Amino acid sequence: MAYRHFESVEKHAWMLGILTAVMVSLGGLAEILPTFVEATRVKLAAGGKPYDPLRLAGRDIYVREGCYLCHSQMIRALRFETQRYGRFSTAEESVYDRPFQWGSKRTGPDLARVGGKYSDDWQRVHLMDPRAVVPQSNMPAYPWLATARIDGADIAARMRTLRRLGDPYTDADIAAAMSVDGRTELDALVAYLQGLGLANGPQPAQAGAAAAAPVARTSP
Amino acid sequence: MSSGWSWWVIGLIVFNLGVTFFLFLWAPRAKVPVLPDGTTGHVWAHGVLREGMHRLPGWWIVASFAMYFIALGYLVLYPGFGNHKGALDWTSGKELAAATAANTAKLDPVLKRLAAMSVEAIARDAQAQRIGGRLFIDNCAACHGRTGRGNPSLGAPNLTDEDWLYGGTGQDITTSIRGGRSGVMPPWNSLGEPAVRNLVEYVLGLSGKPYNTAAAAAAEPTFKTTCAACHGPDGRGNPLLGAPNLTDNIWLYGGTQAAVETTIRGGRQGHMPAWSPRLSDDDIHVLAGYVYHLSHDGDADTK
Repeated sequence: MAYRHFESVEKHAWMLGILTAVMVSLGGLAEILPTFVEATRVKLAAGGKPYDPLRLAGRDIYVREGCYLCHSQMIRALRFETQRYGRFSTAEESVYDRPFQWGSKRTGPDLARVGGKYSDDWQRVHLMDPRAVVPQSNMPAYPWLATARIDGADIAARMRTLRRLGDPYTDADIAAAMSVDGRTELDALVAYLQGLGLANGPQPAQAGAAAAAPVARTSP
Repeated sequence: MSSGWSWWVIGLIVFNLGVTFFLFLWAPRAKVPVLPDGTTGHVWAHGVLREGMHRLPGWWIVASFAMYFIALGYLVLYPGFGNHKGALDWTSGKELAAATAANTAKLDPVLKRLAAMSVEAIARDAQAQRIGGRLFIDNCAACHGRTGRGNPSLGAPNLTDEDWLYGGTGQDITTSIRGGRSGVMPPWNSLGEPAVRNLVEYVLGLSGKPYNTAAAAAAEPTFKTTCAACHGPDGRGNPLLGAPNLTDNIWLYGGTQAAVETTIRGGRQGHMPAWSPRLSDDDIHVLAGYVYHLSHDGDADTK
């Protein structure tokens, strides 16, 4: 390669742009593309079920309200995270999340295993008025959730769509969606939160190990 | 990762390092035509700015060359070159296990020492209070508050007073934390309009608040036949059921007329989750000591 080749790249913006894009994309092609393609092979262990209608509605409310902007659902394999939040998250736990809710920022705490940590009442009060239970919280209140109602037919339609995408819903599961018709969005979101890390969490084999070794440990 | 993707990654790495290493070798030697004034002839702003020509500094060349050794060293030692596991056999899982084991080794002697002590003795142990205070803020403060004074909007009891729903011994507190507690007061709206209003006056009277004596007298038979089953005939409660003492002017959900009426009409089913196995038995033991300390050694010193 002589200098004139180098000069022609430098003097032709489109060629410089294309060659720069090629080099810059190498990292993504190596790190993202293989896992992205192989992700379709990740399966929930036997016994795992997709979201029931109420939790599915709650998951969609979680996405709609942008909860993921401040809360992650991804416990990293780091000691101070597993100590505070429990066993680290695995890809299997997110197979029914479209899109996944791993998040990339924690203004609030991670929620991957928050299910059951607080009572339903606490979750309700906290969503209606976070300062009523955590005085120093800077989370916004979501009072409209208590009055907004869920449309069962809409949830059934979402379940049919998810079935087309591969979620194993049966006809009976989809018919059951009408049972949540008229419930409040608050009910749905609380049901979703209370299932996090439990309903799609550690599967039987791992759950045994988790029970033997407590998920959280103290720090001195 | 399948071997196909492994080769894909290897190919990209070789291509990337190859291209950049070729440029690294070539660029310092490239013959760049230079004009008599020492510039390359590239001009900007109609010739006001001209591109000069200088050799790359030696330190830059050395530093860049060192980067290739660091990159190769990384690919040999750590996973990254396709399916090559790396000479160090490093995984994030192993690192987590090692960090956890190191922490356990540091913590276990402390927890073992505390496990041998009673909850009541732990309440006077400074080291246990530091650990317990941290556990309390992480897990309990959301409902009971950072200072342990409870929250009437949840019916979360004040832990700093002498009043206990389920008993205040170390053993009682440990049991509460480990298994959680669930309130079971049913709604009594079905008693009818005058009966509920009269009962409110009776309950207010029990705790020494101002009340309507005629209404309270009318409610007494209802209280003795209905409420007394859990709260006792004299309203002093029952720690076996977690039925609160109604005579002490300490209120889980507030002691105003309106709050008491809401409680009677709708019942209360306050719920404290079980903390086993979210917390280990050793942690719960230390935490019980901290809670015991809250009501026996003055206020919590947590901010």
